[in-house]
Amino acid sequence: MATETTGAPARAPAPQEKGKQQSKPAPAKETPVTGGATAGEQKLTPAQLKAKAKAEKAARRAKAKEVQAAAPAAAAADAKGGKGGKGGKQEGGQSAGSQQQGKSVPGRRPSVGGRRPSMAAVIKEDPRSSIPECFSHVPMAKRIQTSQAHKDVHPAVLAVGQQMATFALKDSIARLEATLLAFKKVIESYETPKGNSLSRHFVPHVLNPQIEYLTECRPMSFSMGNAIRFLKSQVNKFDIDTPEDEAKETLLEFIDIFINERITLAEVVISKNAAELIDEEDVVLTYGRHRLVEKTILRAKANGKKFAVSIIDDPYDQGGKELAKTLQQAGIRVFYSPNLGGLRAHLERASNVLLGTEAIFANGSLLAPAGTADVAMAASAANVKVVALCETINFDRERVSVDSLTYNEIDPERCSAESFRLMFDNTHSKYITGVITEFESGTDFAPAQAILTLLRKREDPTIA
Amino acid sequence: MAPSQMSYAPTLGKLLKSLNTQPLEASIEALVYLLKRRQVKGDDIANATAHMLLQVVAKSKWQNVDQLLAKVSNTGLRLAQAAPTEQVIGNVVRRVMGLIRDEASEDRNADEMGDSVSDLSQLPTTPTMPSRPGPTPLRAATLPMSKSMFNLLCVTETVQSPTTGASTPMSQGASANLHALRSEVIDGIEEIMDEISQADDQIAGFADIQIHPGDYVLAYLPSPTVERFLIKAAAKRRFTVFLASAERVKPGEVPHAALRKKLNGLGVNTISIASNGLMAYMPRVNKVVIGAKAVYANGGVSTESGCSIAARAAREYSKPVIVLSGVYKFCPADPSDDVTEFEQGDSSTFVDYADGEAVDALEVENIVHEYLPPQYVDVYLTNLGPQTRDHLATIMADHYKFEDMGLSLHLP
Repeated sequence: MATETTGAPARAPAPQEKGKQQSKPAPAKETPVTGGATAGEQKLTPAQLKAKAKAEKAARRAKAKEVQAAAPAAAAADAKGGKGGKGGKQEGGQSAGSQQQGKSVPGRRPSVGGRRPSMAAVIKEDPRSSIPECFSHVPMAKRIQTSQAHKDVHPAVLAVGQQMATFALKDSIARLEATLLAFKKVIESYETPKGNSLSRHFVPHVLNPQIEYLTECRPMSFSMGNAIRFLKSQVNKFDIDTPEDEAKETLLEFIDIFINERITLAEVVISKNAAELIDEEDVVLTYGRHRLVEKTILRAKANGKKFAVSIIDDPYDQGGKELAKTLQQAGIRVFYSPNLGGLRAHLERASNVLLGTEAIFANGSLLAPAGTADVAMAASAANVKVVALCETINFDRERVSVDSLTYNEIDPERCSAESFRLMFDNTHSKYITGVITEFESGTDFAPAQAILTLLRKREDPTIA
Repeated sequence: MAPSQMSYAPTLGKLLKSLNTQPLEASIEALVYLLKRRQVKGDDIANATAHMLLQVVAKSKWQNVDQLLAKVSNTGLRLAQAAPTEQVIGNVVRRVMGLIRDEASEDRNADEMGDSVSDLSQLPTTPTMPSRPGPTPLRAATLPMSKSMFNLLCVTETVQSPTTGASTPMSQGASANLHALRSEVIDGIEEIMDEISQADDQIAGFADIQIHPGDYVLAYLPSPTVERFLIKAAAKRRFTVFLASAERVKPGEVPHAALRKKLNGLGVNTISIASNGLMAYMPRVNKVVIGAKAVYANGGVSTESGCSIAARAAREYSKPVIVLSGVYKFCPADPSDDVTEFEQGDSSTFVDYADGEAVDALEVENIVHEYLPPQYVDVYLTNLGPQTRDHLATIMADHYKFEDMGLSLHLP
């Protein structure tokens, strides 16, 4: 809100005071969203007053949130004050909160460029400015220096954020696992402040800053979004009186089970199911390197099948090269093609295509490394079956994507007109013969849409 | 002089310069080696072929039209075998042969000397004349072009092929006739060379019709033809060019730097896409421009590898695909099975030899040419204007003689 009002810093405190005097009946009366507009209204019906108070409260919350997000650059004391004010508000101590904000607004205002802290803004603006305009809406990972991170960010999360920004943690499941493990550390070190309960305090004041930081480092993967939603709903389930230790214990256990079921076991089940698709003398074609595909192929080999693998690589990533070496060492014959050239020729000898995916949208299209769509399309034109491997945690139930520019990321190392690269592309479900997840059995193919329905019923009745 | 020049880093430019001073056979050999090493690429191949055939017509010994045709097709065969994927060699050979047939029949009609020159229209390309064995006379008087001492000595070498052994003394009229034919054919080949060199400019002349203000144009591995097309369009239109290639560019190196600089100078934005797949960008793209290496009779196109990825993605989003191709690249043959035989290129750009583990483990397949099926092409933009698939056959019939269409330059 501080950023929304266009009034000069000097003017800001004035309407605040006025507001406070005017509206005694309503709690929380400070910097109004509507800025100068409020000054004019002297007589309000109680209903209007109430509505106004509500709006203002919401605005203040939003602001407090923003302050938290923006705090890295602001002085530590300042941020602490803002937070204290916010915490106090729940007890009904409005004056402290309003004072705090009144003080902080003029001080922070010059430093807040847009909604971002100044120092981060300088760093952020630099690489993004070179992005061609037609792609300027696409997010991009960025490195935030640890010194500029929010002070509430837990060291474990800090490390994970750095790893994500540098793509040391790359695929969605690796990021999810690291995030959950870091959150475990956060929970372990969490102590509920006096007069608060974990179920009310933990998410907005402890968990959210972590999430915001991670999102800033790199846009969250859909699996992370899903997991965080589960985690939050778990927290919300706690009664307000639940003892802290018990709640923490439950949360830690929840995360452990989650990792075990949705990541570890899922991988085993998927690779087991998918390995059964590979027959003797097959030539399996895959694009780039994906953990599930690698596990599947190795498992099929371990099952004693004799087959060859054709790897199409992305020359800008070259993950496929590593996969090729691994498979070669396992005794599998590998054809390696460094780019998509001559794809038709490669597909002619392929018996099936295994694709790893980053996520699957509600309309069944895949979000997968750039180039996957081209492979899937060519394969389906050549009548080769295309099988996508994906953990159900990567399914997104709300978002729909029909082209690759809706949800994507820019490669931070190639983000200028000289060299530009989107990291993912969107594969239409019509090119996918089947999706293998940990929930369906054997070799039955289930189109992505069917799986979505299944998931809705099975695990998340609240969302369906 | 020439041998030392050739032994040291041979290039097409040097070869073409030395054509007049070198013996024919040495020039052909040199070009064959350049082709085999893939040192002559793209549009240069057509040009080099035409130059070489011109030398064949001018320098070699022939007493009648059939011998000339045989010599031309023999030379064409050698060149084509050196670069089997380059259809354009065959095209130029066919054009030249068609030219010879035309000129010969004109001469005959003009002079009404039907029986002194063999009946061309009914003869197959291999001469039916019985070969006349005997010592090879040096008929310098009737061969005005072979005057150099070296050529005189070299003749024995070129006589290897049986068809050149003809030595029937000809009447004065026939000899003058041949002389006229030679110079007319040479003129004709020069015209073909002009056509080849002007094709790019003529194609570029249609650029502003095809490209509209505000367009996003995707150029996959822009060939010189495509570059000229874009630059010409840039002079009149404001648009954005996506430049894509599957080649891995070393960090710090800007791909297509010269083209980008020119386009940017003309106020056209360029974005180099460092990506393998192009589906992600297609929603933005308005049209795709591809340079052809050859266009087949059925409309299929021989392109640089990766172009079919671009075309396929364009088809998915219903974006038009424009293939730029001079008429001289139109190949009257249908793509045979050998188009699916792909040519493999250098793998070291993708897998470093320093990476010993990978060198041992990988069967690297870097495909350099690709066949683009006709259904992915919307417009063929030629130096004669834009064409659709249905008219390709007409154009080919205009440019090639029926007798030469079936010419096979590949060994069985």
